[in-house]
Amino acid sequence: MRKSARFLTCLLATMLFTVTAFSQSVTLTGTVRNKINAETVPAVSVTVKGSTLGAFTDENGSFRLTVPQLPVTLVFTSVGYEIQELTVTDASTPIQIDFVPGTALGQEVVVAASRTPQRILESPVTIERVSSVAIRNAPASNYYDVVANLKGVDVVASSLTFKTPTTRGFSGSGNLRFNQIVDGMDNQAPGLNFSVGSIIGLTELDVDNMELLPGASSALFGPGGMNGTLLINSKNPFRYQGLSFQVKTGIMNLGNRERGTSPYHNWSLRWAKKVSERFAFKIGTELIQAKDWLADDYRNYRRFGTSGFITSGTRDTDPNYDGVNVYGDETTINLRTSVLDLIAAQAPFLGSYISTLPGNIPVSRTGYTENEVADPNTINFKLNGALHYKLTNKIEAVLAGNWGTGNTVYTGSQRYSLKNLKVGQYKLELNSDKWFVRGYTTQENAGESHNLTITSQLFNEAWKPSAQWYREYAFAYLNAKQSGRPDMEAHNIARSAADVGRPKPGTQEFKTLFDQVRSKPIPTGGLFTDRSDLYMVEGQYNLTSLAQFAEVLVGGNWKQYVLNSEGTLFADTKGNPIKINEYGGYVQIGREIIKDLLKLTASGRYDKNENFEGRFTPRVTAVVSPVKDHNIRLSYQTAYRFPSTQQQWIDLNAGTGRLLGANRTLWEKYNLINDPGNAASSSGLGEKIPYREVKPESVTTFEGGYKALIGRKLLIDAYGYYGTYQDFITRRDVLQTSTGAGFSIVVNSPEKVKTYGWGASVEYLLPKNFVVSGSLSSDKIEDVPTGFRAFFNSPELRSVLSLANTGFGPERKLGFNVAWRWQDGFFYENDFTQGDLPAFNVVDAAVSLKQPKIKSLIKLGATNIGNQYYRTAVGNPSIGGVYYISFAYNVL
Amino acid sequence: MKLYINKWLKSAAYVAGAISLLASCNKDLPTAEPNPSPSTEGSTLTELLNGADFTILKAAVARAVPAATSGYTPLNTLFSDRTGEFTLFAPVNTAFAALGVTTPAQVAGFRPGQLDTLLRYHVVGGQRFLYTSTSTATTFPNFQFPTQLVLAPPSATLPPGLRMSIFPSKRNGTWVNNIPVTQPDQIAANGVIHKAAAIVAPPSQFLWNRIDTDPDLTYLKAAIKKADDGVAATDKLETALQNPAANFTLFAPTNVAFQTILTGLITQALVAQGIPATTAATQAATLASSPDVFTNAQVASVLTRQTVQGIVVYHLLAFDPIVSGTTVTVNGLRAFTPNFPTTSTSVKTFLNKAVVAHPGVTVQATFGTLGVTAASVKGVANPTASNVLINSATNINTSDQHYINGVLHKIDQVLRPQ
Repeated sequence: MRKSARFLTCLLATMLFTVTAFSQSVTLTGTVRNKINAETVPAVSVTVKGSTLGAFTDENGSFRLTVPQLPVTLVFTSVGYEIQELTVTDASTPIQIDFVPGTALGQEVVVAASRTPQRILESPVTIERVSSVAIRNAPASNYYDVVANLKGVDVVASSLTFKTPTTRGFSGSGNLRFNQIVDGMDNQAPGLNFSVGSIIGLTELDVDNMELLPGASSALFGPGGMNGTLLINSKNPFRYQGLSFQVKTGIMNLGNRERGTSPYHNWSLRWAKKVSERFAFKIGTELIQAKDWLADDYRNYRRFGTSGFITSGTRDTDPNYDGVNVYGDETTINLRTSVLDLIAAQAPFLGSYISTLPGNIPVSRTGYTENEVADPNTINFKLNGALHYKLTNKIEAVLAGNWGTGNTVYTGSQRYSLKNLKVGQYKLELNSDKWFVRGYTTQENAGESHNLTITSQLFNEAWKPSAQWYREYAFAYLNAKQSGRPDMEAHNIARSAADVGRPKPGTQEFKTLFDQVRSKPIPTGGLFTDRSDLYMVEGQYNLTSLAQFAEVLVGGNWKQYVLNSEGTLFADTKGNPIKINEYGGYVQIGREIIKDLLKLTASGRYDKNENFEGRFTPRVTAVVSPVKDHNIRLSYQTAYRFPSTQQQWIDLNAGTGRLLGANRTLWEKYNLINDPGNAASSSGLGEKIPYREVKPESVTTFEGGYKALIGRKLLIDAYGYYGTYQDFITRRDVLQTSTGAGFSIVVNSPEKVKTYGWGASVEYLLPKNFVVSGSLSSDKIEDVPTGFRAFFNSPELRSVLSLANTGFGPERKLGFNVAWRWQDGFFYENDFTQGDLPAFNVVDAAVSLKQPKIKSLIKLGATNIGNQYYRTAVGNPSIGGVYYISFAYNVL
Repeated sequence: MKLYINKWLKSAAYVAGAISLLASCNKDLPTAEPNPSPSTEGSTLTELLNGADFTILKAAVARAVPAATSGYTPLNTLFSDRTGEFTLFAPVNTAFAALGVTTPAQVAGFRPGQLDTLLRYHVVGGQRFLYTSTSTATTFPNFQFPTQLVLAPPSATLPPGLRMSIFPSKRNGTWVNNIPVTQPDQIAANGVIHKAAAIVAPPSQFLWNRIDTDPDLTYLKAAIKKADDGVAATDKLETALQNPAANFTLFAPTNVAFQTILTGLITQALVAQGIPATTAATQAATLASSPDVFTNAQVASVLTRQTVQGIVVYHLLAFDPIVSGTTVTVNGLRAFTPNFPTTSTSVKTFLNKAVVAHPGVTVQATFGTLGVTAASVKGVANPTASNVLINSATNINTSDQHYINGVLHKIDQVLRPQ
């Protein structure tokens, strides 16, 4: 109830701005047809040149537009067609436009670069745009995957449906330095901290465009987004109407012996209707169903707190084997001191024999592979709907909701099975040509999500407590040794003896016990009961018309996190969630200093989090256009982020140490202020780490870029940047020697960390609508102090090469797209596992055939066509090929 | 029309094909690498037994067969298994002379089961004991290793099972029990061989069997019975002396030694009662002339159960007591005379269970060219050390008498704790 009250207040406030309607005089009507096949073209934007007036063609290609007087010049634009202009002097005959399909380079309009629409060519910062046509023609099996082929992008795939894109380094499954904004809503899960864009976002048919803004963007989009922001915008029901659906079916997991070839299904549906000139609505749904990719890295991991290294050894050749994607085997003891020495005390006749054994005999319990414990069925169900109402011709109210649920797997400090995770985002928004105000909330419910490591460890305990298991192991080990078996064989004999009766995966016994453990909250089970929420209100006003001399934008926001995990993740307690308030405001002034040559924009933003000092982040950009269609962009910007909600308040025993947030009360809880821990690493104990308040992290970036359209056929884009991170937030392992307890604490890096990189892309329009494009990009980090892990996780070099055609052959019905992506190998750092990540190549390809009569598209495609399994992170699943065929109705 | 499509498809196929080639160079994902297994290169124990010194042992091993019901693998198979790990104390040909065997053919005179039992006692499993290794520096008295001779298989009541122990030591030379190791550390792929100068015969009786039947230990037997008087069966010394898992070094005073001390004690007591010294001495000698003295009511106040128990347990060597709260644990040890220190050294006894701080006894041995020539043990209240009666023509079976649960050395004085 209180939530809705907040929204109502905002709504009422903005109603006061209602602008009066204007007079109407001449009404123009017409139809837009495809010149090649004479089919009508819907959703074409028809605007009056030099004014804000405009309309869209409906399902039948017809439009209706009222203008104050004649003559007017109408501009017809739609993605995938060449722009056409028509000067109308007479309204008596309907207008007939023959639209020519084609590819126009550099003509797209972007909003994210400076929060106002502008041509992509003139953007003051690096930006990439993916249109609905590009998505339609892309070889990717899911729209979200299209981002991977943009330059400078790294995507970490935790599972089939859980993908996290990042730019400029610091990639990872739960990326905190990259914002994802869906229809204006930040969709970072307030409690789990990862962006849920690939799970709870728009449905494929409802995506109008995606804009990717690499680099710092706090000045416009608030805290976070230090490394980039991805904005995904949906289709307006006023413009895109009618019923459309898409059925995509394929196969995957080929050649995967453990999982077996399995089907892939992706169905989506969208229905939008303009009920009247004022009211339109849309609903959409999407269901993805498949057997997930399998995390099957069974290499041995020598763990130390949240750190460690990959080493040789298998279950049969290392008694202390701890497989990367094997869970439960993290439980380890020194058999000698913990068990054998006790046996020696009770059976003195063995004391002497035991004393000749090594002093340290680490033995781990027998684990289960991810295949055995994680639900292989990945499901992703999305439901969204929106009501659009034009309060006036200029003010549109939007009430929208995106809700999603699913089963997927995520990599954090461990692998988490996100089971029946539910996230809903609901917003109420008022848009005018000059301003918007928006209130939204993110409601998170972790459902039956559980930590696979902790669940498996406790499963082992529930079946046979370690005290008993290790005792049985020790006796069997001694007996096997005494009878002359070599050490490793004795260990294996001991393991089979202690494992007698161990529940077999797939049996009812296993399932019953596992379900029992995973449904109990941490620390007695593996469940985390997270129901954290986010509330946000923001608004922006474009003062340009008032200010006259320059484009002026002002905006502000208020945000509240409500962390509610009943103590299973955060340090909250049942009924007492932790609340964190943040607010901020920004102003941006832009002015064309020298007409058609130099445009300067300056923006500044102030944010305050109740737990941290306020921060001011400035941005200055310049666009120099020495020649038409040649733009040089320069920017200086600062971005920062407050520690994430987890970095502030987490209090989770991860089985291998306690993850602890930065808040002082947590340090007090574990007496770490009076009794600080010693820095711990595999090389031993270091100095004591005293309490130090964690500061927000900030980055200052200089960037230069050049974008040019040459002869309307060659589009070049290049950038270089240099960033300095200050108070870089990272984790360190400490050991409190008095209690023997290990903690992973949040700290600021004492030194500045530098990152720099560059990227370049070329897009060339060949005859017959063929487009060849390629990009090369690089990101590097420097000055990471020893003992700190930066989690930079980016290849030094990556490239994309593609050849595409959106329409060729008879009636331009055929389309195809082949993309090759390569990234260099690098050392991947993660709390879960770290190690060398090999370089990989991926080739995606698709061919499509248009059925203009029913506005449909048949597509035959494959991602990773060579089925060359690769991993995007150490410990994450190996990804093979998906081969699919799809039929999409009413999408042209 | 069809041609047209074909043309496009063809060129598209070329492009796709060309790009697919690029992808084909992905390396296989890294997989788990097994740790290398230890090297099994070199000769097996069986092969090492081909040495000239081992012709009889080799024949014995070949003939030895475990009882069909035991389920044990024949030694010959074990010694040929490259993956196994054994320490073999290998009696050389001359060692077999004691059994009357001087040629390999003569082992046929023994039953295969008999040979199997005998030889299993010479083998320690799961371990490669090296005399030359610094890690085998021996603290008093020796190592205690389980052999392949199984006394009790693992069970619910005795989960580690029980194997007959063997006691190698690197003190005063290289030994196994009281047998000299003439050439240690012959490395094999599946273990190590130590040449033993004599057969290391496995004992077949308990200490109690000796005490119970030796006519020269009737006083000791009576003393133990006295010490056990009224004690719960499980806590009786007599029980412990028949427990195969126990481990004792028992200094067994001869009957004469007991008579001497008893006479002295009783005389003192009688004198204290006002009886003249000479009469007292005569009466005491009469009383002490029979082991029944321990149950004689006349001396009940002198030879209390507690006093006798104190004396008896003082004759059993032990490691330093382990004190944990109010619980004192005392573990016995098995010291053969070659394990004794060459200088007088304190060793604790089972008396330390009751009197934790008791200094124990001191022991000492003297070595000649052929081994121990003299050994002694001294109680704190004895004016002189009592001598271990070293085996000789006159002292038959008096020192290093090995039993399943301990070793017995006869001594010529009763040790006095106070």
